[in-house]
Amino acid sequence: MKRLLAGVVAGLLLIPHGVALGAELDELLEESRSASYSAEQLISCATPDGVRDALIELQQRAGEVRYFGKSKSTTEVWSGYGGWVVQSDGSVIDSANVDGEEVLPAEEPRYQVEEAGQALYLGRRADTYVLRDGELARAELIVDRATGVIMSVVTFDDEGGVYCERTFVSYNPNVPEWPVVESDPDSEALVASSESTLPEELAGFTRLDVYVDDDGLDFGYYSDGFFSFAVFESDVEIVLDGGVVYRVDGGSYAREFTPGQVTYTWPISNGGMALIGDLPPDMHDAVLAELPQPYDPGFFKRLWRSLFG
Amino acid sequence: MRHSGSQISAYLDGELTGPELADFLHHLGECGQCSDELLETQEVRAAVRSLPVIEVPAGLMPATEAEVLPLHRNRGFWVSTAAAVVILIIAIAALVTPAPATISVDELNSRFAARVSLDPAFGPAKVIIPEVTEVAE
Repeated sequence: MKRLLAGVVAGLLLIPHGVALGAELDELLEESRSASYSAEQLISCATPDGVRDALIELQQRAGEVRYFGKSKSTTEVWSGYGGWVVQSDGSVIDSANVDGEEVLPAEEPRYQVEEAGQALYLGRRADTYVLRDGELARAELIVDRATGVIMSVVTFDDEGGVYCERTFVSYNPNVPEWPVVESDPDSEALVASSESTLPEELAGFTRLDVYVDDDGLDFGYYSDGFFSFAVFESDVEIVLDGGVVYRVDGGSYAREFTPGQVTYTWPISNGGMALIGDLPPDMHDAVLAELPQPYDPGFFKRLWRSLFG
Repeated sequence: MRHSGSQISAYLDGELTGPELADFLHHLGECGQCSDELLETQEVRAAVRSLPVIEVPAGLMPATEAEVLPLHRNRGFWVSTAAAVVILIIAIAALVTPAPATISVDELNSRFAARVSLDPAFGPAKVIIPEVTEVAE
């Protein structure tokens, strides 16, 4: 009996004061999805290529979000349940749809949710959660207690440095009038496929679903339970305008950071590949290393392309 | 005096005079090798001279001149022509070579954004900023 009590006491002493594993990650995220509100969100990311930031007006209702830049831009985005519509001056300028019937969440999220105390955020009572990968904190969420809305998300690199902050700078639990938006009638929904050459695992990320279209484009969606990215493999070159050259292990990639997101593209022997996602920079090299490496077409082919396209 | 094949040729051509001729003849009297070489050279010359003379066909020379002389005299013209031909070949090759098919990242980003909206973490933590949305300064 004494030995059992000693074990329990030792166990309690090992748990840091005020810290306990709390809600499951999927429960926390699900609660956030069902909330309704409008808010101004500041996105600011310290990337290896410099700071990338944006200020947007964000509205969420019944799992759908609508947002637009806080400027004179007339561009608006609607997204939710597999749909994505970008509208400018009342006209749809971009849209895509994914059939969600075959889509499954990650079975074993990499992260544990740790309750990290109470907070007062924008004058509202909130709770703080930390997503941990073992000892490593990867994200801190501040969740509005009354509505379950994630008011602030801060993600970290593997040295504890802040990568991205997505924080509300104003919050209103009411959603203004929401205009009806029709997606592009010619846009067909992508349906998950069962066949693809894309890897099922990439540096701790699991391929959740994959899409193959008639144009020779494979698209795999990977997640570790919180961060996610897409890998595209095409039989034609993938063009990234405005990217910088990133070299690693002798390979040369085009890379672009935008607020909250990174894009890589690179040529392969029979086409091109791209990676788009929100994973922190310290994870990039490990993922890229497990994908086909950049192909060097040689001096004369590069010269020809530079002259004639 | 050293052995000199060139002096033998000069002697036979009558180009040696004065002290040079005297030295050569003196050396020739003492050097069997040069005497033999002089005899051989004289025999070869005699044999060549004994060959029959062949008349060049009447139209050959004018035709050759007509083709060779302009090439020599108008080198700039031919270099320019060759360069123009090369450029023309490259231009035609560039025109007939189809531009490589490409796909824009924007198209891929739309698909990614649509798929993200099915992610459990979709919402404030995952909104995708499209290229066309202006960002804050």
